Amino acid sequence: MTEQQNARPVPKPDAYVPTAAFWDAAARRVLVLQRCLDTGRFQHPPRPVSVFTGSRNLEWAEVSGRGSIYAVTTLTLRGPETEGRTPLVAATVELDERVRLIVNIVDTPAERLVIGARVELGWDDLADGVLYPVFKVTSGEDNRTNSGDIHAT
Amino acid sequence: MSKQDVVIGGYAETPIRLRTGRSAYDLAGEALADLLVRYGLEKGQIDGLSVTTALSEASNPFFAVYMAEALGLTPRWLNQGGLGGCSAVSGVARAMSAIRDGQCDCVVVLSADAPSSKWQVSYGMYRPEFQEVAGVVGPPATFGLLMSRYEHEYGLDPEALAKIAITQRAHAVLNDNTVDKLRKPLDRDAYFRSPIIAAPLRVLDSVMFCDGANAVIVASEGRAQELGLSNLIHPTAYAEITNIGADDPLTGALRTGTEIIADRLWTQAGKRPSDIQSFHPYDDFTIAVMMQMEAFGFCDIGAGSEFVMATDLGFDGTLPLNTGGGQISAGQPGLAGGGLNLVEAVRQLSGDGGARQVSRRDNALVTGIGVIPFGRNWASSVAMILET
Repeated sequence: MTEQQNARPVPKPDAYVPTAAFWDAAARRVLVLQRCLDTGRFQHPPRPVSVFTGSRNLEWAEVSGRGSIYAVTTLTLRGPETEGRTPLVAATVELDERVRLIVNIVDTPAERLVIGARVELGWDDLADGVLYPVFKVTSGEDNRTNSGDIHAT
Repeated sequence: MSKQDVVIGGYAETPIRLRTGRSAYDLAGEALADLLVRYGLEKGQIDGLSVTTALSEASNPFFAVYMAEALGLTPRWLNQGGLGGCSAVSGVARAMSAIRDGQCDCVVVLSADAPSSKWQVSYGMYRPEFQEVAGVVGPPATFGLLMSRYEHEYGLDPEALAKIAITQRAHAVLNDNTVDKLRKPLDRDAYFRSPIIAAPLRVLDSVMFCDGANAVIVASEGRAQELGLSNLIHPTAYAEITNIGADDPLTGALRTGTEIIADRLWTQAGKRPSDIQSFHPYDDFTIAVMMQMEAFGFCDIGAGSEFVMATDLGFDGTLPLNTGGGQISAGQPGLAGGGLNLVEAVRQLSGDGGARQVSRRDNALVTGIGVIPFGRNWASSVAMILET
């Protein structure tokens, strides 16, 4: 989705729980997240157990990549993860699968960076073909809001 | 709680300074030595120690034990506080429990940190893979997200945040321990000239890492009297919670543990918000101050802007706020910052407020917030009511 001029820090998979499935799927431009097999609910970030039941009955399952902006900020702080990218738009995105991610929003004009705006999945190249999910605000009719109002409490 | 058998009997605080090149141990030593001199104590009379985990010594899992060794203490009860900005206030509560259990009689709750001189933190867990990749690394980024959500749900008046920053700065000017760089008045124009770093968050909504240390003495009332301590402050209510909404990924980012513990606190103390004579909330960001006002019921949830604009928050006002300047204006000595507002509350209730002494000093409310979780506000919330 965006051309990166400089290689960015690439996190090490499996550092605290097994996450290789996430990175392997990302390399194929597929977004998978952890799902509790007992309740069918997604959780993120990945955990060693289901936060719903405490069991390890977990799987990785593909999500739609559709959702809406729950919170959004524009960062001008400098650091290794923002180097050469500021101003950088970071957002909490709430997926339709009822789980939230912290991601960057790219290729979106400032006036459309609003809470509740519908977003769709794209892929960012961190370095050497290591892909990572990013989102952009959709331009079509699918611009209804959900997160902005339904989960306000 | 509301039993009156355990007291805070004294306090000490070093000046807050930038890039001192000193260690948490050295700063802690200064606070302890000052405490002993101020109250005529011998170090052998201290039989319990609670040590706040320091950012600057975070690579040492045995920090509290090394601290005991550094200070020449032999505690019968030792606690290492790992709740970030809650560690000092929760350290007092844990010390009270230990004293009531008969484990010890006289505890020093010690917080020292020097993150502007030395940084040894690596949080690990999910952060490198699922948060920091997006550039959401330090607290300002998370609080920028939080503020955007607050603005969306309730509306956020930047004038109210400016007023919090300006009021606390006026208090910091009256505080000899304030870091030099911040010891000058702040006006509205200067606040609004402050750069936005994580929209809508400004630099002057935020704390600045410094170095410093503070300590309080917690003792049974009987032991405090034996030791000749005369200004006895009674913690009459305490409540704590960590990781609310643990099993609900859609918990609102504006929901805080503070609003969950508020009822318990008021019930224990037999008090209402209108009874509180000074308010010393943990202040890493101005929005956190406002959200805690709402959580404790000083005003309705979402009505913080109006409340701030309508309330005199000066030390001589109707709800004195962080009368030492708080961390935002006196400087944040890393995780020792959790003890900053505690010490100020004890100082005020002891009548030692000097040029910023509050007129009513029967009670104070002091809080902690600690650790920033994934996409929400703060992981741990504590609150304590102190009474004379």
